[in-house]
Order: sequence, then structure tokens, then C-alpha cells
Amino acid sequence: MKGVDRSFTLEELLGGNTRASLQPRIESLVGGATALTGSGGEPLWGRIPDGASFRVPIQLELEPIGHLVSDVPDMPRLRAAAALLGFLLRQRAQYLMASDLHIETVQADYEALLAKHAELEESERRLRELSSQLEQRVEAQVALLDERQRQLYEAERLASVGQLAAGIAHEINNPIGFIRSNLGTSRKYVGQLRAVRDALQGGSAETLERAREIDVDFILDDFDDLLRDCLDGADRIARIVRDLKGFSNVDGAAEESLDLGENLSVVCDMLAGQLPPGVALHRRLAPLPTLRCRSGHLNQVFFNVLRNAMQAVGEHGTISVAASAEEGGVCIEIVDDGCGIAKEHLGRVFDPFYTTRAVGEGTGLGLTVARDIVQSHRGRIDIASKPGSGTRVKISLPAEAA
Amino acid sequence: MVSRATSEQGGAALMAEFDEELGRLTVKVVYYGPAQSGKTTNLMQLHDLAGPELKGEIMTLETQNDRTLFFDLLPVGLRAPSGLLVKLRLFTVPGQVAHDGTRKAILSRADAVVFVADSRRNQTTNNAESFDNLAANAARVGLDFATLPLVIQFNKRDLPDIDSEAVIREQWREAPWPLTFASAIGGEGVRETFAALLGQLYPALDAQFALDAQHGLSAEAFVAGLCDGDVALRAGG
Repeated sequence: MKGVDRSFTLEELLGGNTRASLQPRIESLVGGATALTGSGGEPLWGRIPDGASFRVPIQLELEPIGHLVSDVPDMPRLRAAAALLGFLLRQRAQYLMASDLHIETVQADYEALLAKHAELEESERRLRELSSQLEQRVEAQVALLDERQRQLYEAERLASVGQLAAGIAHEINNPIGFIRSNLGTSRKYVGQLRAVRDALQGGSAETLERAREIDVDFILDDFDDLLRDCLDGADRIARIVRDLKGFSNVDGAAEESLDLGENLSVVCDMLAGQLPPGVALHRRLAPLPTLRCRSGHLNQVFFNVLRNAMQAVGEHGTISVAASAEEGGVCIEIVDDGCGIAKEHLGRVFDPFYTTRAVGEGTGLGLTVARDIVQSHRGRIDIASKPGSGTRVKISLPAEAA
Repeated sequence: MVSRATSEQGGAALMAEFDEELGRLTVKVVYYGPAQSGKTTNLMQLHDLAGPELKGEIMTLETQNDRTLFFDLLPVGLRAPSGLLVKLRLFTVPGQVAHDGTRKAILSRADAVVFVADSRRNQTTNNAESFDNLAANAARVGLDFATLPLVIQFNKRDLPDIDSEAVIREQWREAPWPLTFASAIGGEGVRETFAALLGQLYPALDAQFALDAQHGLSAEAFVAGLCDGDVALRAGG
């Protein structure tokens, strides 16, 4: 037990030195030899006299803590000396209790301070952690905002291009329709003109001479060829318009289930017409599982990557487009044997507005947008390249694309 | 051989210390309250006026301005018919807010508490803060405040600007503790407060130490012996 709850023995309260200095003074007060005994009767100073002796209790609180014993037959003096000792003992006891209490309090305060200190350190640590995370979070948020802004920009662009394309396609479709129809009718007329020519065979020499002069046979044959070519051309225009409408299907950004092979074919068809004679485009399109995806957006990805390939090969080279089913999705590879990408550029090809092309030739957004779209379908796009020998772009799209 | 009371009879066990060898039961009572509400005065008056059967000298450790720095201690006691010495050590705590550590240390292992409030209206906040502090410290030192024997004394009834007893009783209507009113400086209500506390304390002590059954000490004898023992002795002797 400590502090105010401890109990004391006489021996504890009166140390050896105190006793040595107290004894002669008490004895001179009492007027003779004394003995001091503890609560168990053990002597703390002096000798308990044999025979008759006077014995006075010394009180600390309620019970005697010891006795003062003497042969001197003067009880008032002995009582006064015992009371004086009791007074000293109480002072001493209170001092000891107070100092215990003080130590206990100081210790408790110190421990409280330590605990507080530990708490402060902990909260400072958390704060620091939070502030470092805050930077990261802000960076991540800014990156996300950038990406969203790019997507928005690109979506707007695609939408306006799409609107334009749809409008143009609509406007072109009408004239193409009557041009085709008229061309068809014209071919019929050519056949009828042949019949007219045949009927004229038995005509006058003047008429025959005139026909020979203007070479009617050649004109009729060539006319037929010209009209057939024109019809082919009109058909091609009609197909391009149809492809353009399909390609620019960005308004319909909703997901649909489709076979990406068809999308790839459309994009390849569109670009095939622009290829220089020295460039070969190979397609190896295996049957693909249908994917849930946004068709117009993925067209944009293929278009961007293929356009890069075309620009890389220049006037001579080979571009191959391969699509295959792989575990959990599809894999599309677009490989060219063009100029390749220098090592210092390779790490930055996906950075927005990073371009090696002359001003006005590229926005520096092609691959950035391609990556954003692929990632929004939970897919991935990887580029491997070696300067001088070509570039390989691999796009993986999971079956459960977003 | 000293054993701490640990039985769980009749609510929370008291911390009272039972020394079988010495035949002594030591009980700790703490006078708690805001600064200068009259805790030390209560003890002084108990020492001077009330007459327990056994009474020791009061130990005080005051600073120059009569403010308690550490504690005051007044031991009082009685001897049960069985010969058991029942010893109550009455402590005061320093009331100043700054001495909370000391207050907490003294309150620890207390068996009963007298809360001495200052009746003056302008002391209402101090009383409330000190009472909250008592509840908080009781919890910190592991005392069950709900079962702790407690009496609330409204002291300084002799001063002006105080609420009437009726108003105070109405305010404390919901509280489960006995209220007493005192003017400790004149000795009024001090003994009554102590008697009320003994009345609160006895059932818990009896439940734990069989004071009545084993030591022949009834509730009446317990209260009378600790309040008026020497009067009875004087009258009888």
C-alpha cells in the first residue's frame, strides 16, 4: 500500500539517527533512563527495566504504535514525553504520506504526458501520411480530370465529325441515287442505239459512209464501258458513304454486341483507297467472339493505329492486321515494317499532345485517345517498336468489356 | 495478515481493509468538493465537536492561505462488542482544479464520499464542475459511482445569496443521494452530515464484514459510536 493508505511502524518513522538524537533529549525531559518499544514490544532504544516500570502508549492515529517505558515514577512527565513523540511521529507520517502522494502524482502526470506525447506523435504521423497521400490523391484526380477532358474533347470532335459525315452522306446519297438510276437507264439506251445502228445497216451508202466516219461501233462499245465504269464508281461512292456513316457512328455511343472483325474490315476498306501503290495491306481476321463494346469508339482506335502505320511505311511497305480470339477476349495486332519509333519517343507516345510530326499534321492525340478508349473497355494496348524495322501494336479487349 | 475486501455482496465491494490479526477494520472516507467549500472545516469541527468513541489527532498540511495542499486526515473509530476496532480515516482533498492528480490519488480506494458544496449561488458552476470531476475520478480509480456511499452537503448556509433548502431539494429531486445542509464554520450540520454518511456506509460494510452477525455491531450502535461515542461514555461513565 502506498500514499495515504499505507500504515507505518514506529521503526519506519524513527530512523536510527533520529532515535540516537531523540533518546538523550527525551530522557532529560523524563529525568531518567527510558526505553522505547514498537507495537510488538521490541525495544527501539534503551533497555526495558526489570520489575516495576511505568509504561505510556505513543499514539499515531487511534491505536498505540509503541510505548515509552521508564523507571522514573513521574507519569505526567512520561505522558508529556510520549505525546511529544506522538506529535513528531504524526508530522513525520504526514510528511511521508505527502511525499508518497507527491511522487505518485508526479508519476501519474508524467505518464499522462508520455501518453499524450505518444498520441501527438501518432496523430502527427497520421497527418503526415494523409498529407503525402493527399498529394498522390490530387495527382490521381488531376490525371483523371485530364483524361476525362481529353475524352470529352475527342468525343465532341468525333460527334461533330460524325454529324458532318452523316449530313454529307445523306446529301450525297440522293444525287448518287439518281446518278445510278440514270446511268442504268443510259445503258439501256445504249442497247437501243445498237438496235438502231443494226437497222441502219441496210440504209443508203451516204448513211453508211457517215456511220463509218464517226465510228459508231467504237462509240457504242466505249459508251457501254464508260457507263459501266461510272456505275462502278457510283457504287464505290455509295459504299464509302455507307462506311463513313458506320464509322462515324459515335452518337450511338451505347454499347452493342458485335463482331469486331466487321469493324476492322470497314476501317481497312476505308484506308485501302488511300494506300500508295507500293504498300500492301494484309488481313488475317479469324472468327471472333462477339463483344459488348462501343463500336464507333473502337473504330476510332483502329483508324488511329492504322493511320500511324500508314504514315510509318510511307510509299513502300507492308501493313498487316490480325485479329484472333484469345482466352477471355480478343487480340488485335497491327504490324508495320515502317520507320519505327525512336527509343526516346516510345515512352511518351501515349502522352497527350506529344507528336513528332510537323505542326498541322498530327494533333498528338491519336494514341492517347486510343489508349483511353481501350482502357474504358478494360482492355490494354501495348506498343513494341524498333527504329528502322517497324512497329507492333497489340490491343487486347476482354470479353466482358465495359 | 491483511486482506483486502473483495466479496461482491450487496453491490460493489468496498475497498475497506480488514486486518484479522490486529482485529481492525480500516475504512476510508473522503471529503470532496470545490476549492474553499469547507472540507477542512468539516474535519476540524468533527474533531472538536462530534465525539466518536475513539478519536485521533487531526493531521493537516496547509499552505499559508489556509488552502489544503495535500490532504487532511482525521482518524476516528469505535470498538465493536466483539473487540473489532472499526477505524475510519477521514480525508479531505485539495479543491483547486490544478491539484487533480492529488485528488485522484486520495480518492482511490475510498469507501465513502462526502461532497461538500458551497451554497452560494455564484458557486453553482464550481460545484457542478467539482461534482463532475468526482464522478470522472471515481471512474478512473475504479470506484462504482452508482453504488458508492455518498452524501451531499450544502455548506455555508450562514452566508447571504443562497438558495433556500426547498429550492435546492427541488433541484436535486432526481438524485439518489441524501442532502444535508451545514454551516461548518459554526459547527452546524457537520455531525448530521457525518451521521448521514455513516447511515449510507453501514449496509455495505455489514454486507461485506457481517458487522451485526459476527461483531454485534448494529447500525444504530455504529452511527452512535462514531458520532456520539464519547458523550455516551461520559454520560454512562
